[in-house]
Amino acid sequence: MKKNIALLGQSFLRNYVLIAILALIVVTMLVEPNFMTFANLINIMRQFGPLVMVSLGMTFVIIGGFIDLSVAGTISLVAVVTVTLIDPIGQVPAILVGLGVGALCGYVNSLLVLSSGALTQAEALFITFGMSTVYSAIALMYSGGSTKHMRFLKGDTSVIEALGQGSVGIFSVSFLVFLVCLAVLWVFQTQTRMGRAICLTGGNKTAAHLCGVPVSRSIIAIYTISGFMAAIGAIILFSRITTASPVIGAGYETNAILAVVVGGTTLKGGKGSVLRTVMGVLLVILMSNCLNLLGVTPYMQVVTKGAILVLAIWLDNRTQI
Amino acid sequence: MKIQTSECILSIKDVSKTFPGVKALQKVSFDVRRGSVHGLVGENGAGKSTLMKILSGVYQKDAGAGTVIFDGETIENTTPHESMHRGLAIIYQELNLVNTMSVGENIFLGRFKEMKGMRGTHTSARELLDRIDCKIDTHKLVSELSVSEKQMVEIAKALSFKSKLIIMDEPSSSLTAEELVELVKIIHQLKEQGISIIYISHKLDEIFDFCDVVTIMRDGQIIDTKAKVDLTRDEMITKMVGRSIENEYPERPQNVGATLMEVRSLNTRKLHDVSFTLKQGEILGLVGLVGAGRTEIVRAIFGADKTDGHQILINGSAVRIKNPNDAKLAGFGFVPEDRKLQGLVLPFSVESNISMASFEKFTKFGFISKSKESEIGIRQAKALVVKTPSTKTPVKNLSGGNQQKCIIGRWLENDPRIFIMDEPTRGIDVGAKYEIYVLMKAIAEKGGAVILISSELPEVLNMSNRVLTLFEGRITGEFNPQTASADEIMRAALGMTEGSANP
Repeated sequence: MKKNIALLGQSFLRNYVLIAILALIVVTMLVEPNFMTFANLINIMRQFGPLVMVSLGMTFVIIGGFIDLSVAGTISLVAVVTVTLIDPIGQVPAILVGLGVGALCGYVNSLLVLSSGALTQAEALFITFGMSTVYSAIALMYSGGSTKHMRFLKGDTSVIEALGQGSVGIFSVSFLVFLVCLAVLWVFQTQTRMGRAICLTGGNKTAAHLCGVPVSRSIIAIYTISGFMAAIGAIILFSRITTASPVIGAGYETNAILAVVVGGTTLKGGKGSVLRTVMGVLLVILMSNCLNLLGVTPYMQVVTKGAILVLAIWLDNRTQI
Repeated sequence: MKIQTSECILSIKDVSKTFPGVKALQKVSFDVRRGSVHGLVGENGAGKSTLMKILSGVYQKDAGAGTVIFDGETIENTTPHESMHRGLAIIYQELNLVNTMSVGENIFLGRFKEMKGMRGTHTSARELLDRIDCKIDTHKLVSELSVSEKQMVEIAKALSFKSKLIIMDEPSSSLTAEELVELVKIIHQLKEQGISIIYISHKLDEIFDFCDVVTIMRDGQIIDTKAKVDLTRDEMITKMVGRSIENEYPERPQNVGATLMEVRSLNTRKLHDVSFTLKQGEILGLVGLVGAGRTEIVRAIFGADKTDGHQILINGSAVRIKNPNDAKLAGFGFVPEDRKLQGLVLPFSVESNISMASFEKFTKFGFISKSKESEIGIRQAKALVVKTPSTKTPVKNLSGGNQQKCIIGRWLENDPRIFIMDEPTRGIDVGAKYEIYVLMKAIAEKGGAVILISSELPEVLNMSNRVLTLFEGRITGEFNPQTASADEIMRAALGMTEGSANP
């Protein structure tokens, strides 16, 4: 644990971006007393759940040396499919189908990236960008373009309700789900052979391939994980609001990439950590919260986010190798 | 002094160039007479390209080391743009044309204004192409041209700058015999128009065909400059390859045994019916120029590239190798040609780089044991005397020789039977080279075998038990380097004679 704190500290010092954002938070606390209210902190925790899931998945794609812009489409598709399936087949089966759809979307992405030769991040960027529109379109067609509502069956214990509003002790259920995912993914990345294969693939695909490291399987793994985590994110997202619009996922891809990069995982691949990403997500959400409280217009907020992403990438280019 | 400048278009005196750790050029001097075709020959890495890049301004020569006088003018700190306008053009092997633009546009790229628009561009381009009797339509897209036509466009482009000296870097490497005849015709026309040409080539026939003067380079130095009439082919080859072989190599392995591996009819786009055997306990050297297919052969055997069919037998039984992992399991080791791009994961630690081909040894049920991984790293680093502060140090911080040892150690962990080494000593200092030779020998003497590829002929000749020469994707000869002369081997590698085996 001490080591992890040290790691966080290191990533902190290495990232001027983090310092800048923390400064923003301090300023907000001074200027706007509402920041530290209970209601606002709950608000922050709510946004945290879905984004952190998507970002954890994205971390693997980026460590593997690629990128996944399709998560926005995946989230929309999973949300719509799951919500509409709850009535006919029940909650748990619907959730399982939703997770399967997410993983399938990721798997399809990986096959497309592999068939393109999987040479550079740029190819992956265009392929997943294209697939995002495909998944979004499927979501729109499936839902007929309308927002799907969930009907609660009275008397039954509702899994979705528990996920959205329930809590165990002081922790909300979705936060516990997050902790479990984080632990599993952290162990996967740092302790398993496949996790190492993914890092080596991101570090140098050619060298890894020539050493017999399963590069193709790593690429399939990272995209499937990303799709699966996006699906978990989607389910947490609609469990709270109990409705799913076919464009519910829009914007998640940029926020997730922002969180991963600001957290300190390099876009060059090879190095990074899911723990850093958690920090990144926290900071991205705090930032948008601060900007909201400070009365910055939504347009200006988008500009700020974009600027910070560019700054983070620039710093990343300067600090690594 | 005045006479000299009028006679010589280019005069290079004592030019040196140092790259970090390597002296690429040492006090190079030679003159190119006006209106002559000057051949420049030398092995790969002799310094020809470096010298040409200094002339064109891509590289700068070492400060204060020597002078370059072009057309009576001393050149210092030039840029490719400046030297082009001064009248010194270079036509590189990998032609520099914009595929999506027309011939005319390419010739006057960036100068449409001076040409007064497109019409002027195409009229002037036509005139230039006519000067070399070239019939290409100036409106045609460059992507539709053949390689030789592209070369003509490059030559026309050089003429458009009123070039006085045109340097051609291996212009014939991708031409057919008929196309070469065309090129030679053009070279003669240019010569008649008073333009000098430096002609860089590996193909000695061409040099003897139409060069007036020949300069031979080796190891970054000028060995000799002679008029063609005073030079014999044998003398040229000897000067290209010969060098005093000092005691920089250990004795070659002694106990060559039975056949370990047999490769049968290996065919790819670049390789034609390559078959050979590898014996237990030997070092087999592959000699050939860049592009002759040396690397292609070992990559195909290792499963890194697809082939149009081949058969590998190890100890008499057929083995199927579809990817590098299969090769690893079949007992291969592989040191790739480019250490940094293909061998190492630079930001990763020494131990991660060493352990990455032997996951089986430190994982259980898919989980990594970091302590076992460290053991592997430490064991190999110690065995190969890798100089590093710790095995946790990023491998990018190590010197070239120590990085190469990490790659070798990575494979030694698997006890490979067949070790492929592609340019194992490139960019490595002499001391580390010797250590790598000793390692090679040890692998062979432990009952394995090594396939050695190197552009340094002395290295192959001194380490190998047997040498195969390659030319344009075919095996052209098999030699015993202890009895065959370097000239003989070089001749086979240049496609000039057929060697004893594989007729």
